[in-house]
Amino acid sequence: MQCSKCGNPKVIYKREQSGQILCKDCFIESIEKKAIRTIKKEKLLDKGDKVLVALSGGKDSVTTLEILDSFRQRNIIDICAVTVDEGIANYRQDGVDIAIRHAERLGIEHRVVSLKEEYGITLDEIMQRENHKGSCTYCGVFRRTIINKAAREMKATKIATGHNLDDEVQGIMMNYLEGNTDNLTKLGPKSESKAEEFTTKIKPLREIPEREIGLYVVAKELEVHFDSCPYAMQSFRGEVSEAINQLAEKHPTIKYSTLRGYDKIKNILKNELKKDYSHGRCRRCGEPASNELCKACSFLEELGL
Amino acid sequence: MKFTLKYKQINEEREIPDENYSIKDLLDDLELSAQTIVSKQNGELVIEDTVIEDGDEIQLVQIIYGG
Ligand code: SF4
Ligand SMILES: [Zn+2]
Ligand SMILES: [Zn+2]
Repeated sequence: MQCSKCGNPKVIYKREQSGQILCKDCFIESIEKKAIRTIKKEKLLDKGDKVLVALSGGKDSVTTLEILDSFRQRNIIDICAVTVDEGIANYRQDGVDIAIRHAERLGIEHRVVSLKEEYGITLDEIMQRENHKGSCTYCGVFRRTIINKAAREMKATKIATGHNLDDEVQGIMMNYLEGNTDNLTKLGPKSESKAEEFTTKIKPLREIPEREIGLYVVAKELEVHFDSCPYAMQSFRGEVSEAINQLAEKHPTIKYSTLRGYDKIKNILKNELKKDYSHGRCRRCGEPASNELCKACSFLEELGL
Repeated sequence: MKFTLKYKQINEEREIPDENYSIKDLLDDLELSAQTIVSKQNGELVIEDTVIEDGDEIQLVQIIYGG
């Protein structure tokens, strides 16, 4: 067996969807090229951008940082990073430490923001409460709020997240299956919000399968936090993911075709289902909100904080 | 005919049960999905079709976690 590109007999990956067999160097190059192609095709970066990377220390965010750094080295963009510490014992600290080391290695501006400092409560403490809404509900909303705020404070022009092909396809299928057309229109490579307080979010890895990102960080010997959150459990997303992976065994191109199909109808969906979001403000924190309180503040009030 | 398996806390010697015993066969025996694991043979990344040789050190790294 030898590399389909260079003939090197030391191969590390067989790409099911194309039949390609790759050596380490050609594999690494293929991932970086793929992300750069997405960035160019979807016009994710503009010269002079200051991109805030949402850096958890996991494989997806570290890969996002690594790929965007090649643009920084060529003086096309500037990069900064934010890490959210949700306060999850025996889990989060390792990721935070890894994020700090990557930021130091690259010499970029980096902030670690904890739920405790920001809201006076950790996710672990929320989970001690009775009648909580489930860890991931709070985690997602608080994380998003903290990242949006950090982007404004650090004067970032874009926020880059590590969403990969699997995440994106799960999102498409989940929202479709749930009939959640509102959220369905919000997916895609670049989210632009009407409210100017919300910084544009970009997903440079959305065409790369999760497995290939895992192999990429191991091949490049990038330090990442491989672990599962103690709160991760059977969720609808997990069930959808399992079903898609099962289909992908016999139909290796199915994730790509789902993404392509969505990309073709996305603009039609957006135009047809466009809603006039009221440009209200949260009465508690002043963040943009469609109701009297933003999501984060309505959770805080429920928690009596 | 033996090899060393390293996976998470596991670090043990195992018998090679038959000729042409591949990493894929090992993953099946351990009931691990090839989709969530990458494998190294003597420190170098390899594909799952790789046949395990006498004295090999096989390291498995889980790259995908649920949740
Ligand atoms: S699995 Fe853990 S880290 Fe992920 S959203 Fe849920 S609580 Fe947060
Ligand atoms: Zn090659
Ligand atoms: Zn608010």
